[in-house]
Amino acid sequence: MTSLTSETQKNQMTAGGKNERFQLSDRQKDLLQKFAALGSLIALTLIFSLTSNAFFTVNNGMTIALQVTSIGILGIGATCVIITGGIDLSVGSVLALAGVVAALAVKELNMPVPVAMLAGILIGSLCGLINGLCVTHLKLPPFIATLGMMMVARGVALQITGARAVSGLGESFGELGNGAFLRIVNIDQNGFPDVVFPGIPYPVILMVVIAVAVALMLNRTVLGRHIYSIGSNAEAARLSGVHVARVTLFTYVLSGTLAGLTGCVLMSRLVTAQPNEGVMYELDAIASAVIGGTSLMGGVGTISGTAIGAFVIGILRNGLNMNGVSAFTQQIIIGLVILGTVWIDQLRNRR
Amino acid sequence: MRGFLANLADRLDLPPRERRHAQGALRSKRGHGASNPDRPTFDTKTSDEIILRLEAITKEFPGVRALSQVPFDLKRGEVHAVCGENGAGKSTLMKIISGVYQPDAGTISFKGREHHFGSSLDAETVGIAMIHQELNLVPHLTVAENIYLAREPTHGIFIDKAKLRADARHCLERLGVDIDPDTPVRALSVAQCQMVEIAKALSLEAEVLIMDEPTSSLTEAETTLLFDVIRDLKQSGVGIVYISHRLDEMAEIVDRVTILRDGRHVSTDAFSAVTVDDIVSRMVGRPLEDKFPERTSTPTDDVLLAVEGLTRRGAFHDISFSLRRGEILGFAGLMGAGRTEVARAIFGADPLDAGQIALHGKPLEIRSPRDAIAAGIAYLSEDRKGQGLAVKMSVAQNLTLANMAGVADRFGVIDFQRETGTTQRYVDLLNIRTPSIHQVVRLLSGGNQQKIVIGKWLFRDSRILFFDEPTRGIDVGAKFAIYKMMDELAAQGIGVVLISSELPEILGVTDRVAVFHEGKLTATLNTRDTNQEEIMHYASGYAGTRS
Ligand SMILES: Nc1ncnc2c1ncn2[C@@H]1O[C@H](COP(=O)(O)OP(=O)(O)OP(=O)(O)O)[C@@H](O)[C@H]1O
Ligand SMILES: [Mg+2]
Repeated sequence: MTSLTSETQKNQMTAGGKNERFQLSDRQKDLLQKFAALGSLIALTLIFSLTSNAFFTVNNGMTIALQVTSIGILGIGATCVIITGGIDLSVGSVLALAGVVAALAVKELNMPVPVAMLAGILIGSLCGLINGLCVTHLKLPPFIATLGMMMVARGVALQITGARAVSGLGESFGELGNGAFLRIVNIDQNGFPDVVFPGIPYPVILMVVIAVAVALMLNRTVLGRHIYSIGSNAEAARLSGVHVARVTLFTYVLSGTLAGLTGCVLMSRLVTAQPNEGVMYELDAIASAVIGGTSLMGGVGTISGTAIGAFVIGILRNGLNMNGVSAFTQQIIIGLVILGTVWIDQLRNRR
Repeated sequence: MRGFLANLADRLDLPPRERRHAQGALRSKRGHGASNPDRPTFDTKTSDEIILRLEAITKEFPGVRALSQVPFDLKRGEVHAVCGENGAGKSTLMKIISGVYQPDAGTISFKGREHHFGSSLDAETVGIAMIHQELNLVPHLTVAENIYLAREPTHGIFIDKAKLRADARHCLERLGVDIDPDTPVRALSVAQCQMVEIAKALSLEAEVLIMDEPTSSLTEAETTLLFDVIRDLKQSGVGIVYISHRLDEMAEIVDRVTILRDGRHVSTDAFSAVTVDDIVSRMVGRPLEDKFPERTSTPTDDVLLAVEGLTRRGAFHDISFSLRRGEILGFAGLMGAGRTEVARAIFGADPLDAGQIALHGKPLEIRSPRDAIAAGIAYLSEDRKGQGLAVKMSVAQNLTLANMAGVADRFGVIDFQRETGTTQRYVDLLNIRTPSIHQVVRLLSGGNQQKIVIGKWLFRDSRILFFDEPTRGIDVGAKFAIYKMMDELAAQGIGVVLISSELPEILGVTDRVAVFHEGKLTATLNTRDTNQEEIMHYASGYAGTRS
């Protein structure tokens, strides 16, 4: 993720105008913006490394990365929607629906796994499209439109599965969620496998690729610029010739698609499709965006910030678990961390 | 509407019918008592008592020293003008007086006591009120609710709605404007919002009233009304700080004038001791010869844009005019005459109820601003904060927003080098004062923000440009540059429509003037053969046509 951060900084520097002094202050501001989140990320890593020996290891690093993927991928979609001034509350339900559809397609319709998963992802896109149309054409407030979708998608997921988990999906269904790239395994004399390097899990690769792609889209393309302009002042954007409805729609479709993808990844990891999966995930996604400096008022936000936010939440969960902190206490701590980082962010803005 | 007709009648010698109507309005205004009986009155008009004194005020923002060692003082019952180029530090100084900003160094004393205002509320409590350069109204609340925001009259724990409305109506009548206190603010025009801001500040009954460009969006008629109120306030001993880039109007009310340049104090003099030319040359640092450039080209006979019978219910009715290649056409009229509405409708920002638009003789259907822009029509909005700028974005991002294709490849990937180059060109061309092209637009001075809106539309090559109050809040030097640019655009065969509330500007740069009154086009005049009186005559509803 650090590469992304420096990426944006480089953009700003190359475009830095004549005055040396102000380039620096631009960069400093950018750093400052991420300081609250980045600072707490580093602090957490230090604290957990000291309190638990198993924390700062390659294996645990991969575990954390894997755990972060779902929040991370959902957070990327959430960031785009929030930058336009909207919100997407439906992603938790949509991911359940998408995963369930993929599983049923394999089990009931005997589709090949990749095709079934593609169908799942497209279901996510469809939900996003409906959200977007409700917002742009029916002019429903995003909160309401996606709240409705949250209930409808969950309902459909429960309905088509009879509220039961779909299992017995076969090994290939688990490949996406459990496979890894560059896994090095030696078979020892007794024929037992000995894992030298756990490899980079496919979901982590997916997350990184998507994060880089969306960050480039936001920073470097006309589409990204239009997304920011809508959140900053939709009327000014419209009068400047921005296709406000279409661009807004795009962000909801993106968010839905990423939710669909997350659903497939999650269900694949469990090799079971759970219609009750992903409850409250939308709030984690929004929290990671907000911790990373995305403004709920719209117009402000970065993918690198969201990635940091997702890791803050992921590391907190993982580290607290390792230290044997109960799930209830974990919730309290995560809640306080969200309040704290956003408060620091506010302080910075006020100055 | 009636309020300022009254003033017009006095000034313009209208025919008897108009005059009777006007006098009625005048009486009703006086009836309410323009000065407040509760306020202590002072014997002398301008006593020599210094009510407010600032010493060696310094204020720095990241990358900008906005003020260094600036002194300032204000007497009871005087109007003290502050002049300076865009970004000279006028608004910053005023915000320090009214507690919005805290100075890095220097002292503020009010009525002989030193004060440190931590917020604008602190300053309001002791009796200092400010009308800000940018509109700060809550769009969804009504006019009355906005005027008494956070000071609502109550009845137990409930808001006393009847009193709220009555008080607000009284405030507005004192100003002489005809605005219903129950209208939501979002339904008002920019000029009406400005009048509501003024009414709100008046209702605070402050002893020091700061007005930061109160007239920049007002027509002459409302300006006259405002000046009447200012004279009343002076009489009752209120000290007024007055900022404006319309130097000509100052002679009517200003007692002293302070000039700032680059955040430094240049001079403070009695207004009678200096000429407008003195002020300008001290502001700019060099003498300025002309106010308006010579027109270097003449309009062709090709009709570029022809509109026929445009109607939008409740806004304008049966508007027909044509714009030729290379022509600068002015739209003149009073507040609420429908000039902005007509331009917005042609641009596709608002729907039309009837009428045709033809471009180059071919009928054109425009359903959205995108259609209009694609057809080569640009509209520069009068409301820069609400509709012109994405204020959270940078100078560069705003300048290129209307023409992203001009800085991106065909895949929509932005070429940052090209964007920087383009932005730098317009920053230099328009003399936009900013620490960097990546500065967030919100942090620029008002006039510099306005220049960005202009730059944005200049970068988008268009065939027809609607400029709605383009020089609003822009200093004299930069105004000249903008007029010159309009002339150059016209020389290239572009058609320009200039909507302006400043008649001298209309007379100085246009070829023809279309005069509006309450949603109707009352006359189209050749600029060379007309004058201010004739335009005002048609603007106040005396119908007729000449061309
Ligand atoms: N909050 C802020 N943060 C950073 N810079 C600021 C801020 N406010 C003002 N400035 C800068 O301070 C300088 C003075 O601004 P100010 O608004 O006082 O100018 P002004 O004289 O009122 O100009 P105008 O005629 O355009 O209204 C400008 O260069 C502006 O960019
Ligand atoms: Mg100002």
